[in-house]
Amino acid sequence: MPILSTLRALWRNLRHTARADYELDAELQGFLAGLVDEKIRAGLAPDAARREALLTLGGMEQVRESVREVRAGAWWGALLRDARYAFRSLRRTPGFTAAAVLALGLGIGATAAIYTVVSSVLLRPLNYPGADRLVVLLHDERSPVAPANFLDLRRASRSFQGMGAAEMWGPNLSGQEPAEKIPALHVTADLFPLLRVKPLLGRVFRPDETELGHEHVVVLSYGLWQRRFGGDPAILARTILLDGESYQVIGVMPREFGFAPFWATNTQLWAPKAFTAEAATSRGAQSLRVFARLRDGVSLAAAQADVSLISGRIEQRYPGVARNITVRTLQETVVGRVRPALLVMLGAVAVLLLMACANVAHMLLARAATRQREVAVRSAIGATRERMVRQFLTESLVLSGLGCLAGLLLAWTGTRAIVAWAPGTLPRATSIAMDWQVVGFTLVLGIVTGLIFGLAPAWQSAGQDPNTVLRDGARGSTEGGVRARARDVLVGSQFAFAVVLLVGAGLLARSFLALQRVDPGFVPDGVTTMIVSTGGTREAQPTARAEFFREVLRRIQAIPGVAAAGAINHIPVGGDTWGQSFWIEGRPPLAPGERQGATWRIVLPGYFATMRIPLTRGRDVTDQDRIGAPGVVIVNQYLADHYWPGEDPVGKRLTIEDPAKGAQWLTVVGVARNAVQGEWSAPASEELYLPFLQDEGFVSGSGRGNYFSYVVRTAGNPASVVPAIRAAVAEIDPAVPLSAVATMDELIAAATGGPRFYLFLLGSFAVVALTLAAVGVYGVMSYAVSRRSHEIGIRMALGADPAKVRRDILRRGLLVAMAGAAVGVFGALLFTRAMATLLYGVTPGDPLTFVVVPAILALVALVASYLPARRATRIDPLVALRLE
Amino acid sequence: MAPPTNLLQGTLDLLILKALTLEEMHGLGIARRIEQITRGAFEVKAGSLFPALHRMEEAGWLAAEWGESENNRRAKYYRLTRSGRAQLKTETAEWDRVSVAIALALRAS
Repeated sequence: MPILSTLRALWRNLRHTARADYELDAELQGFLAGLVDEKIRAGLAPDAARREALLTLGGMEQVRESVREVRAGAWWGALLRDARYAFRSLRRTPGFTAAAVLALGLGIGATAAIYTVVSSVLLRPLNYPGADRLVVLLHDERSPVAPANFLDLRRASRSFQGMGAAEMWGPNLSGQEPAEKIPALHVTADLFPLLRVKPLLGRVFRPDETELGHEHVVVLSYGLWQRRFGGDPAILARTILLDGESYQVIGVMPREFGFAPFWATNTQLWAPKAFTAEAATSRGAQSLRVFARLRDGVSLAAAQADVSLISGRIEQRYPGVARNITVRTLQETVVGRVRPALLVMLGAVAVLLLMACANVAHMLLARAATRQREVAVRSAIGATRERMVRQFLTESLVLSGLGCLAGLLLAWTGTRAIVAWAPGTLPRATSIAMDWQVVGFTLVLGIVTGLIFGLAPAWQSAGQDPNTVLRDGARGSTEGGVRARARDVLVGSQFAFAVVLLVGAGLLARSFLALQRVDPGFVPDGVTTMIVSTGGTREAQPTARAEFFREVLRRIQAIPGVAAAGAINHIPVGGDTWGQSFWIEGRPPLAPGERQGATWRIVLPGYFATMRIPLTRGRDVTDQDRIGAPGVVIVNQYLADHYWPGEDPVGKRLTIEDPAKGAQWLTVVGVARNAVQGEWSAPASEELYLPFLQDEGFVSGSGRGNYFSYVVRTAGNPASVVPAIRAAVAEIDPAVPLSAVATMDELIAAATGGPRFYLFLLGSFAVVALTLAAVGVYGVMSYAVSRRSHEIGIRMALGADPAKVRRDILRRGLLVAMAGAAVGVFGALLFTRAMATLLYGVTPGDPLTFVVVPAILALVALVASYLPARRATRIDPLVALRLE
Repeated sequence: MAPPTNLLQGTLDLLILKALTLEEMHGLGIARRIEQITRGAFEVKAGSLFPALHRMEEAGWLAAEWGESENNRRAKYYRLTRSGRAQLKTETAEWDRVSVAIALALRAS
């Protein structure tokens, strides 16, 4: 059987290469001996006969090689031999090998690490079955929706299989020490079914459990179940105390389940959302994030049209409450904000990889040049061009293989570093992990780069006429023009790439500095913040609550070292921002498309003084601003300027209830300077501050008013007073937990974590790029000098001025670098335009950056060329001429 | 005598198969036999002969074993296998077809 015999031969050739070679040798020797015998019989002397026979044979080694090449599995043997040869020759030049592997490893590793992040965050679907059909309904893609609007949308829309809503909640888990405020969500019964995730234990909510009086059931996250209940398998039989009320545990979600994915991401338990009759008709307070699953065959655009129609109808009846409700995919909502940043990072690493390739290609070219003689000798003794190309390619593949290994190692550590460093704003950070896809991506990347940067030098050096090389080389002449230009282009392109990365990093650095200089409107130094929540304790009683919060404030103010203290419902930067519609007395109804909402704050007296937010007009709230007294409000400067331009707003009146329903009017008593609200670098917008003692919900209502964020200003280290504050609160009631303890500086650092992170990434790429460019120009110049040492020696011997020789070399290095940099400026203009969304306080075409970066690169090119230039002028003409 | 013609690609295989129809032979013997049956028109070089022999052996057309040569030296003897004979038959038929076609083509005018 032919196939069998081929397989047998393959086995023999691969398994017993030595024996096959030995047998071939014996066969050929026998053939030669036969030839000699013939010649002797023909009458030649034995010596002459042997010579003749060898001539007839045509070279023993060639015959042997030609047989080896037809053998089954010849390619494998050749590959092994080539690889072995490549390893040997790489080991002979450890400096070159290390530099090339390092450059490739950096390029491939950075690319693989960023690709890992991009694929985990952007490409992998969310962890819900059929997640691509899940959508989110919000105002302007970000603000929550009012309950009555949600109920209308759910009732009237035709585009969805299901629609549910979630609202943030933070009950105190008590009944077992220590009391703890748990991040939680209230969800409607339709929410879990539309996510299509089955609980690990028990069940999720029934529709009747969102009716008032039946809502005391709870589903736990796997983490909370393990952490607080020791993974108790009988948990479903237990009730737990949340805000002092008992809740029946009905389910535990699987370990990998998390909800919601883009906000309230650390949620640990879920309870049903039961709307009171009042809440169900409320269109002012917007607190619900709405989730839905698209019906089969319904497009996103059709769903948006459906929702817009319904919200348009609501808007006609209740102007201003249902403007621009957007339908976006859940995936887009989760990752949309980071997508530009991640794609920019991916672009940056691609540039870095190209640069590493250019670097290695130019090193290989230089190396090929020094090996011209080896190549010439080998082709003179019969190696074919194809064979030589294969040899060179094998070498560059071995190199890129090593680079791949280094890259994988770097990617692995790099990915972990990124996860550790990733700011809280990077969604799905915990799901970032290298997988086989990334490893495959890396390997393909390695092979492709190996082929790309190996092919050119291989082809070029294998195609040379050995005669010219052997003659040329012997005389040590200056190298040919084409090759020198190729190398100049490669080094120049490295500078071009370096410009792109450095400009990008420069712009991010400038934005970051601008972010550091943002005036938050308050003085953050020395301020520490914490949440005190009374849920479930005896302090939550309507009769006790108002007094409790004021007592805590008084006790904190009495602690030595505390300069000032105040309290607010949600602190700026770190806290939530709740929207609130408002109406101004005597103004005509709103025109369609006009938004009239503000961030809604509830404060205790002393907040403004503690934060050092100046009141430009009027006064702070006082303990006299209580229920029963005339309603008052403090507005921020933006609201004042926007709604009462050129007028004194103090004394004007507004309301947060629909005036059509008989509103309670609030008199503006003060104007506060604009302060950062939620997002650190967002422009100022409307903000209302209402006195705590006039808010029904806070003073005597249930739910939303049972916690306060305290801000404490200290003279020294803000963290030092925290134990005393804990003690002070515990003295009043040990069951009241403190949570979210953080200094204002920490909160600001977290809020600017995203820009810092991207700056760190792009900055490190830029440093690597700069190093590669410097090494590149240094390498090419010192190579040029060593090749031209003969010529320089002659010039020096003829009396050339060393300074001029040095200048010549410096000029050439600078020229190559600057030509590359000039091209890079154009590339950078394109690149930075894509970065626009990452920038703050600086334009993508920032002139300063575009001037400074090329200047830095010129300096680097000068320094990197200076060393070889100096070496050139120290060439001893005698040595140089005698050298070759 | 005209200088030896270059072996047409593919004809060497056919000639080797033909040379081995009568008896098993070693490499030099095959070369001499081809020269003989082509009346010296083809001179077989070692650089073509041995790659061809090894390739055909691996393809299963030839089998080889070590034996004693006429001068008492170890030599590798090749013989036709069954599939080798079949190959000879098909290649002969093919050759006939091609040579007739080419002869016709050349004679046409």
